Amino acid sequence: MARGRRRVTIGAAAIAMLAAACASGGGGGNVASHQVLTFDVAIAFTGPDAPFGPETMAGCLPAVRLINAAGGILGHQVRCSSTNTQGDPADAVPAIEKMLATTSGVVGVLGPSSDEASAIVPILNAASIPMVVITGQPSFDKSTYQYFWRTLPADDQLGYAMAAWGKLKGYTKVAAFFGNSVGAQSQVPGLVNGYKRFGLTISPNLAIAYDQSSYRSEIEQILSAHPQAIFQELDPQTGATFMSELKNLESKPIPIVGDSVTLEPSWIHAVGGGIGAATLANECVALQPYAPPAGPGWQAYDSALLASASQMKNAQQYTSDPYAMDPYDGTVIMALAMLQAHSVKTSVFNSHILDVTQARPGAVVVHTFAQGKAALAAGHQITYIGAMGPVDFNSYHNSTGGFGAVSCATNQTTPVGVISAAQVKAAQG
Amino acid sequence: MSQFLASIGFGLVTASILALAAVGFTLQFGVTNVLNLAYGGVMTAAGFVAYAVAQAGGGLALSLAAGAVFGGAASVVLNRVVLSPFIRRGIGVFGMIVVAISVSVMIDNGLLSFIGPSFFSLPFSQGRSFHLGSMIFTTMELVIIGLSVVAMLALHALLRYTRIGKAMRATAADAVLARGCGVATGRVIDLAWLISGVLCGLAGVTLVLNLATFDTTTGTSFLVPIIAAAVLGGVGQPYGAMLGALVVGLASQISTLVIQPEYNTAVAFVILIIVLLVRPTGILSEIAASRELTA
Repeated sequence: MARGRRRVTIGAAAIAMLAAACASGGGGGNVASHQVLTFDVAIAFTGPDAPFGPETMAGCLPAVRLINAAGGILGHQVRCSSTNTQGDPADAVPAIEKMLATTSGVVGVLGPSSDEASAIVPILNAASIPMVVITGQPSFDKSTYQYFWRTLPADDQLGYAMAAWGKLKGYTKVAAFFGNSVGAQSQVPGLVNGYKRFGLTISPNLAIAYDQSSYRSEIEQILSAHPQAIFQELDPQTGATFMSELKNLESKPIPIVGDSVTLEPSWIHAVGGGIGAATLANECVALQPYAPPAGPGWQAYDSALLASASQMKNAQQYTSDPYAMDPYDGTVIMALAMLQAHSVKTSVFNSHILDVTQARPGAVVVHTFAQGKAALAAGHQITYIGAMGPVDFNSYHNSTGGFGAVSCATNQTTPVGVISAAQVKAAQG
Repeated sequence: MSQFLASIGFGLVTASILALAAVGFTLQFGVTNVLNLAYGGVMTAAGFVAYAVAQAGGGLALSLAAGAVFGGAASVVLNRVVLSPFIRRGIGVFGMIVVAISVSVMIDNGLLSFIGPSFFSLPFSQGRSFHLGSMIFTTMELVIIGLSVVAMLALHALLRYTRIGKAMRATAADAVLARGCGVATGRVIDLAWLISGVLCGLAGVTLVLNLATFDTTTGTSFLVPIIAAAVLGGVGQPYGAMLGALVVGLASQISTLVIQPEYNTAVAFVILIIVLLVRPTGILSEIAASRELTA
């Protein structure tokens, strides 16, 4: 009998706990009053893409600092938590499910990246958790996921940006040398179509397998076409082999144009080790999402970032990092949407993300959470322009900005050239 | 036409590295019938030994020698300490493959935990380029080709003209009969692992010399073309492995002229399948698949 009653008690407790778990996370973000709200950084903290984690967290922490300093959201303080996806869908799915079941007060997610987005986005969407993603996958260009938001340009946009950069630099004939991964190949159609639209030539256009012992035959094909520049996305080892063999086979330097992968420390270390860091910096530029490190939105981010230095390693490195600035803006935007909606319930405030970002006549432009909170309290409509500049979501919750070209060297953030969103659109036609 | 000839030249470099690796791989298999899938891990480790020697001020020759010595010693130890005990307990061929895969994973992860997830470069210049018609070779590539040719000739002389070579061939053909005829098969097997390991070490160092950078998985990622070359030539046949390496090396480079380079590895396997359809035991093999493991 006692055993039976005990079972009932345990069963009731389990149901209560389950209900609480559902209410706090998986059930769509119902939050008890005065409960601390959580923005979860769901991305790789270990594995090959381990730098993504601290980089994204470097956006969340200063945002949370400023939100709390301004009195929080509707009586709630906020915090950042982390979920390590390990950059692998097989590890990411149970990690996210565990986070949803056990982390209380989750009102937004920063991430995932392309490593695990295809697996994670549907789960977060089903759980009604708004997410500001880091992925560039073109498959989300026409996303119908209600809780999906992307303020960084997609990879295919990068292809168009590469075409725009080629036109800007006067490269009438270029070669394309991309790895055969999904991420790398997703840039190629944009590059090819953009070049075609401008009436320029890409020859040859080679897709290669990674980590081969040699690419000399491919390089010989490239050199015989006499390109003015080579566009590429390669992993570190492949990039090192390619660049080293290119240097051996062609004494005259050919400009190399890459993407943000080309700026990863592991890439620079590997390729710089193979051909020399100075040579790499001279011959290579990388395109990445760009917002000028200036203006009131960026200044607020930068001050809060440096004030949060004790919570991260080398905060200075993230000062102009778009992959830290983007989650910062994402956190502030979600927080302002809660104020606009007068609710911290995710299913209620999610649609208000559009309201606080769209440029509208009569809306007050705000650059910080505190400014937005004051303007909303005064009964104004607001348009948030943060560290990354204006955000203009389309009907698929995608917003595209401009790109900057920086030299392929460690911690390079000062652009040697800029491609505006209008130039990218011109390449798209 | 000039691109075709250039590709042949580039293919010769790849084939030279493959030949060192595939001949070592198949020589040991021919004698012991153990499919050593930890071979790529030992190649990587030999590359790191060469790197350590170079960092300590050693020259190219010393780095190559250190890698070769390490490869030989590591292979003998691997056989004596890990693989032989399983064979003595009567493990089957499939079980031994699982053991070898386990060892390979342990080596790769051991290197990763000891060295870290970074990239390394041997500090030796590729040297000046030489044009032989349409072919272009750097000094380092000529060294790699020369080293491979010398190693192949030395192995040929060993197998053909020395008593130990004859003993190895006898053990490869029938270990029980060879033992009955007075051949010290235990020593022959140790020697096979040693020579295989030396070639493995040389292949590892030449591979990382040819690549601008390498990491803890470099050798293992090269294992597939090694096995392809060995199987193509006829498993257990050193001369077949040389031929297989040449075919795989040339095919991987020349094929890029007519198809997207991402498929160049697949081309080697298409050739492999076609050859095996026509000649199931490989180009030169007489080895029967039913042989038992030999310790």
